[in-house]
Amino acid sequence: MSNSIAENIANFLKEYPPFNYLSYDELIQVVTNIGVVNLDKHKILFKIDDKLHDSFYVVASGVINLSVIADAEETLLNKCYAGDVFGLRPFFAKNNYMMTAKAREDSIVYAVPISSFKPFVAQNPQVLDFLLESFATNTRNPFDKENRGKLITDNVYTENQTNEIQYFQSLAYNKTPLKIATNASVKDAAQLMTENLIDSAIVIEQNAPIGIVTDTDFRTKIANGRFPITTTVDKIMSSPVVTVPENVSVAEAQLLLLKYNVSHLCVTTDGSDKSDVCGVISEHDLIVAQANNPGVLIKEIKRSLSPKELKLVREKLTDLIQSSIAKNIPLPHIYNITGEIITAIIKRSVELAILDLGSPPSRFAWLSIGSQGRKEQLLLTDQDSILIFEDVAPEKYRDVKDYFMKLSKRTTSILEKVGYQFCPNGHMASNMLWCKSLSDWMKQYNNWMKMPGETSNDISSIFFDFEIAFGEGKIEDTIADLIFKNTKNNALFFDYLGNDALHKNPPLNFFKKFNLEEEGENKGKFDIKSKAIMPLVDGARLFAISMNLRGINNTYSRFKQLALVDPKFSEIYLNCADAFLILSKFRTLEGLKNDSSGDFINIDELTKVDREKLKNALTPMKELEELIKDKFQLTQFS
Amino acid sequence: MLDWIKNINKEYPDFWKTYLSKFETKTNRYVILNTETTGLNPKKDVILSFGAIAVINDVIKISDTFEVVILQYKYLHDNGLSNEFLIESKLPKLSEYNAVQALVEYIENAVLVGHRIHFDIELINEALEKMECGKLKNEALDIEIMHQKLMDITNKSFSIEDLVKQYKLPVNERNSASDDAYSIALLFLKLKTRLGFK
Repeated sequence: MSNSIAENIANFLKEYPPFNYLSYDELIQVVTNIGVVNLDKHKILFKIDDKLHDSFYVVASGVINLSVIADAEETLLNKCYAGDVFGLRPFFAKNNYMMTAKAREDSIVYAVPISSFKPFVAQNPQVLDFLLESFATNTRNPFDKENRGKLITDNVYTENQTNEIQYFQSLAYNKTPLKIATNASVKDAAQLMTENLIDSAIVIEQNAPIGIVTDTDFRTKIANGRFPITTTVDKIMSSPVVTVPENVSVAEAQLLLLKYNVSHLCVTTDGSDKSDVCGVISEHDLIVAQANNPGVLIKEIKRSLSPKELKLVREKLTDLIQSSIAKNIPLPHIYNITGEIITAIIKRSVELAILDLGSPPSRFAWLSIGSQGRKEQLLLTDQDSILIFEDVAPEKYRDVKDYFMKLSKRTTSILEKVGYQFCPNGHMASNMLWCKSLSDWMKQYNNWMKMPGETSNDISSIFFDFEIAFGEGKIEDTIADLIFKNTKNNALFFDYLGNDALHKNPPLNFFKKFNLEEEGENKGKFDIKSKAIMPLVDGARLFAISMNLRGINNTYSRFKQLALVDPKFSEIYLNCADAFLILSKFRTLEGLKNDSSGDFINIDELTKVDREKLKNALTPMKELEELIKDKFQLTQFS
Repeated sequence: MLDWIKNINKEYPDFWKTYLSKFETKTNRYVILNTETTGLNPKKDVILSFGAIAVINDVIKISDTFEVVILQYKYLHDNGLSNEFLIESKLPKLSEYNAVQALVEYIENAVLVGHRIHFDIELINEALEKMECGKLKNEALDIEIMHQKLMDITNKSFSIEDLVKQYKLPVNERNSASDDAYSIALLFLKLKTRLGFK
C-alpha cells in the first residue's frame, strides 16, 4: 500500500547522509517504520544515564542541543540542525546514554528504529562508516556539509569543530588545479597561473601528474637566469610530485608536506602518480583548515563574495568567542578582536554593496553606532548604523542621496543575511533619517545637544557611541569635534544625558532580591541588559563625554581611563570596570548557550555562587549613580 | 433487554460487528483523520478521500497510516464536476462502500482527532447509514477547539493553515488528505502537551 507521508519524509532524508547512500526503495522501507516526535522548546529527549531508546534520531526541523555534564557544569557538545543524525549510541553500545539531547527551540525529530535500519548498515559499508564516524566524533556531520558535491575553492572553510577533530577531518582543497602539458613554455605557464591567481600548476602526461611548477621554481630556475623564459616547463618542474588519495586528513597532509619538504601535494583518484589528477593541496589550505584564528577570519572576510560566505565567517567567530571564553582569555581582549572582525564584516558588506551599485558619487562614512560603536558586541544582536556623506552641490543632492539610500538598503540587507537583525527602532543607515549629508548631521547633533528635550524627551544616546566601519575618517573626526565643542558649558545636555542614565529600574528590590520580569515572554527572568549593563554603559559614556575622553569608546576602557583622569573617584570607576566585565560575561554565556542576545538571564539556573557573584557586580552601579547625581547636580530631576 | 441489542447486531455486516467488539478494550491509540469532501452539507455532499495517521505514546507512526481515494464517478458526473483528480491520483482507489469499510477496520477503537472532526464524522455516519451500519462510536477531539481552549478564544475560527503558522510548523507544499493529516498530527502533539492532558 502506498504511503505518501513516507514518501515526503524519504524525499527530505535522501538529501542527507547516511540516507543518501540508500536506494529510494530501501529508504522507503526505512521511513515506513519511523516515528515522528514533537519536542517543545527545552524538552529533553534523552538525558545522561537514560536507558537507550530503540531508535536513533534525525532532526526534521528545529535545533537539538547535545551536551554532557562534567564537573557539574553543562558543556555543549553540538547543535544538531535539520538533517543531522544523533543518538547513535544504541547502534554501537549497550550501556546508557552518555549525553543529553534537549530541544533548543520547538523541534520535530524522526525516530528511526535501530532494528529496521540495521540490515542496511550491514549491507552498505558507506553507511556504517558514516555512522561510526559520527558516533566517534560526536560531530554533527563528519563530511563537510557546505561543500559536499560542490566545487571547492581554497578559501572555503570546513565546518567548525574542535581542533582535535578538525585534525582528522578531511580537507577542503582546490579541486580544479591548473594542468599544463610538458611541452608548454614557461612563459605561458606563468601567464596562466597569474590569470588564475594560483601559485602552482601540475604538469601532466596523459592526465597523470609527472611534476609540478610552483612560484618557487620560477624564482630558483627562471628569475636567476639558469633557464631562459622560452624553455619548456618539463625543464624546470619539480618531479616527481608527491601524490595523495582523495579524502586525505589534515594531519596526514601536514606530515607529507614535512616529510618531503614540499609546499604542494597533488591529489589523484587512487593516490598514485599513475592516475588522474583531481586536485592540489597547498600549505595555505592546511592553515585555513586548522585555524579558527582571527587573522584567518579577517582574511576570509576580505575574500568573501557573498553574504553566505560572510555568514559562515560569522558563525566561526561565534566559535572563536566561545572557545576564547572557555580558555579564560580576558574579556577586553575578546572584545577587541571581535570588534575588529565585525568591523571587517561590515566593511566587506559595504564593499559588496558598492560592487553591485558602482562607485559612490561622493565621499562618505559608514559608522557603526551603539554596541558595535563601542566594540562591545559578542553576540548576534541587531544592527545599528548611520551614513554620512559629504556635502554636494544642491542640484546633485537628490541623486547623491538616492545612491546612498540604495547603498544603505543593500548593505543592511546583506548584514541581515549574515545574521544581524534589522534594528527594531530603525536606527540604521537605510532609514531616511539616518542617511544624510554632513551638514545635516551637524545640525542634527547640534539639535540633540543644544536643545535636548525640545522635540522629544529621550535623547538617543546610542548616537554618541560611534566607530567608523568604512569610508572617510575625516567625516568621523568632524562629528567628534562637534560633539566635544558642544559639551562645553552645556549643563542642560548633561542634565538630559544624566537622567537618561539614571532612569532605569533598579536591579535589586528592597529585600536585595533580583527584580525579575513580571510579564511577557521572559517572565521570571532577569533583564541583565537594561537593568545591569546599560546603566554602566550610559554612565561611562556620560563621564567620558564630559571629561573629553576622545577615541575611547569601550565601556571598560572608558572606566579605566576615567580612573586615571579623575583619581578622586578612581575606586568607583575601577569597580565599575570590573562589574561591567562580570556582567558582560554572564550575558555572553547566556547568549551563547541559547543563541540569543542573552538579554534575559534565568536566575534559577545559576548556581548559588554565580548568583552572589552577579549580585556583587550590581553594587558598583549604585555608587556610580550617586556620583552622577552629585557631579551633574541632578537632584532637581530625580 | 440485552437480547434486543444482540438481535440488532445480527443485522449488521460482519466488519461492523468486529468494529463494535473492539470497544471492549481501552486504547492509547489516536487516529488523526482528515477527509476531503465535495462540500459542507452532510446530506448532499460526499467524501472524496481519506488520509489518516496514528499517534501512539506521543509518537506519530509512519507505518500506521491509511489513505484512499473514493471513486465518486457517479456523484461527480451527476453534479457536472471534473473527475480528473480521480484519474490522476496515484493513491489506492476504492468504491465508497469498500473505502468506508477499510477506514472502519483501520481506526478500530482509537480516539479520532481532526480539524472540525465532527463534520467528518457526520459524513462518515451518512455513508455508514447507507451501508446499514450504526454510527461511529469513537471518541473525537477537534484541534481547533483544543486551540481555542488553550488560547481562551471562542469567537474566532482557525483554519489548518492558521494553526500551522501559529505553531511555526514546517509548511506542507502539497495538499493531499494525508499531508494535512500529518500537519494535524503535529499540531495535535503540540496542543496535547500544552494543554497537559494524557
